[in-house]
Amino acid sequence: MANAAGAAPGGHRNGFWGVLSLPGVTWLLALFVVPFYAIAAVAFGQVDPILRTAAPVWGPWSWDFSAMGKVFGRVFGGDLAGVVVRTLSYVGVSLAVCALIGYPVAYYVARHASRWRGALLAALVLPFWISYLMRMLAWVNLLQVDGYFNRLLGWLHFGGSRNWLDGNWPTVVIGLVYGYIPFFILPLYAALERLDKRLIEAGRDLGASPRRVFQRVTLPLSVPGLMSASVITVLPMFGDYYTNTFLSSGSPKTEMMGNQIERYLRGTSQPQTGASLVLILSAMLLVLMTYYLVVTVRAQRAVAT
Amino acid sequence: MDNRFTRRQVFGGSARLGLALACGMPLIPACGSSGSSSKKKTASIKSDLKPEAGPLRILNYDSYVAPDIISAFEAKYGVKIEVTTFTTDDEAITKLASGAVDVDLHHSAGTSTLYKLIESGLIQPLNKSYLTNIGNVSSSLRDPYYDKGAVYTVPYTVFGTGIGFRADKVDPKSVSWETLWDTKYKGVTSILDDVREGLAMAMMRKGLKDVNTTDPAVIKKAGADLGQLTNLMNIKVEIEGYHTIPEGATTVAHTWSGDMLTAVGYLPQGTGDDVLGYWQPDPAVINNDVMCVLSKAKNPVLAHLYVNYMLDKTNAQTNFKYVGYQPAIEGLDGQALSDAGLVPAHLASCVMSNDQIAKGYRYLQLTADVDALWNDAWSKFRAGA
Repeated sequence: MANAAGAAPGGHRNGFWGVLSLPGVTWLLALFVVPFYAIAAVAFGQVDPILRTAAPVWGPWSWDFSAMGKVFGRVFGGDLAGVVVRTLSYVGVSLAVCALIGYPVAYYVARHASRWRGALLAALVLPFWISYLMRMLAWVNLLQVDGYFNRLLGWLHFGGSRNWLDGNWPTVVIGLVYGYIPFFILPLYAALERLDKRLIEAGRDLGASPRRVFQRVTLPLSVPGLMSASVITVLPMFGDYYTNTFLSSGSPKTEMMGNQIERYLRGTSQPQTGASLVLILSAMLLVLMTYYLVVTVRAQRAVAT
Repeated sequence: MDNRFTRRQVFGGSARLGLALACGMPLIPACGSSGSSSKKKTASIKSDLKPEAGPLRILNYDSYVAPDIISAFEAKYGVKIEVTTFTTDDEAITKLASGAVDVDLHHSAGTSTLYKLIESGLIQPLNKSYLTNIGNVSSSLRDPYYDKGAVYTVPYTVFGTGIGFRADKVDPKSVSWETLWDTKYKGVTSILDDVREGLAMAMMRKGLKDVNTTDPAVIKKAGADLGQLTNLMNIKVEIEGYHTIPEGATTVAHTWSGDMLTAVGYLPQGTGDDVLGYWQPDPAVINNDVMCVLSKAKNPVLAHLYVNYMLDKTNAQTNFKYVGYQPAIEGLDGQALSDAGLVPAHLASCVMSNDQIAKGYRYLQLTADVDALWNDAWSKFRAGA
């Protein structure tokens, strides 16, 4: 009786919040489903015979998969395979650098910053005050042949005439890391800040060294946060094309998938090819998202037990 | 069943999709029966109409018309001009076709894609009774191949494609397409980020003359030749030669003639314009941009008056001082512009003569299949494959 009486108000509350969240959930779903379906309708659709613009076909029963088949062949083993591998490599290396730089920063702010925490958090958000394009253009000024970076190298007697902007992969990785690292640190900070301190204290009380406590308690508990940070960082990196455009002067050596998508969708009469590339990229990201969900659920279960 | 759509059906389909999803209904069948987006063409406006109150809305590339010209026209006719910008010809067409931009005048349409605007009914025939300066148009462009009888368009600028270079670092007499493959200039060379220009340049380097080829082997070979540049030259692919050459970041650039005249304004203080040089083959690829009035123009009379204003010789010169691209006006040739102090004598080759315009190679609209061959070859080169 007590349970039933207790459950009723809870049920009402759940229902209330469910109804309240309905518009937002519907809005988010629509913003995912409609554009995604539109991309599929373009990928499997036609091209206006005169304007050569996309003529989406909305009925799946009339879809034409020939463009997708061709793009699939180019991506997996064809002339676009290199772009895919390059994109995966750049994003992978950038993510690793983000983790190496971002984890200590997030950990320090969450666990040890004390009264400086607010100021440090503000500093992390500060880059968002300036347009992404402006920040990339700033890198162009720093890295151009007569820029400050080369001057510094010259001053240190390490040369100083290298052109960093003519298709160097480290330049693109630096740009990606610089552009996206706030997206990595902030969710990781939120996760680390919520860690149950009692578990860490228990580890210390049981005689573990700080290093061992970090290895056995803090790091495993921060896996969901790390995964969230990785997903939030990696998703936009995969579709990024302007970082590479700005920092490589359009060099074919550093072309990424986003560049190919942008070119086919905006600059050619083959929008199906661009839309097909979007779908293939989305499918690859879906694999990563699935992995993220599996790891997160496992981590939550581990904590619960 | 023909799956192709008219644009109206496409947009109607979009609206239905949104409605269907909102109502939880199954999607409405969306197969169209028409295979064309062509529309009924608009007639030209009547003569002797009074100018509208404006504002006159113009679609143009960024910085492709002199602000002085805009303000002088505003003052003369007591109207405001609103300029919307675009970055590529295809983007402009997409925006106009979708209704994303609603303007009176397309200031700078490309000629190789002009038929899209005509056949889809997006632009209207001009009423030449408003164009009292029409006689000023270059004689070589009065009956152009892309608009026979100049029914829909008036040429705005004309330019060739060649190589811009630093004359203080490259021997001007040695410049040819081969210079782009010369490893002496590795890391300081660029080619135009344009599928047609890039592949056509590679074809012309091999002595080919058909810049509209449909031969898959030729297109593929041109793409492969460009591919050599990736590692051989650390090639940059961009359209920034107009400032990277004067700034010294680029020594040799595949570029448009107009960009080299624009480049003069980007030279560092104290650097003479004799460091700039331009070469183009003979014959060269010649392009021109055109002005046209939209069928749905709300201010068609003003748009005509603006086109006429731009055809005035003095206004054309004023505009040229700012944009650096040669106006398609009879008499404003290299010698005349040089004499007027608007073009350095050693860059007079950046101004096309009527003879060069007449015999120049022109990019024509390709069929969809051939266009795909060109795009895929370019895509492969850009992918570094």
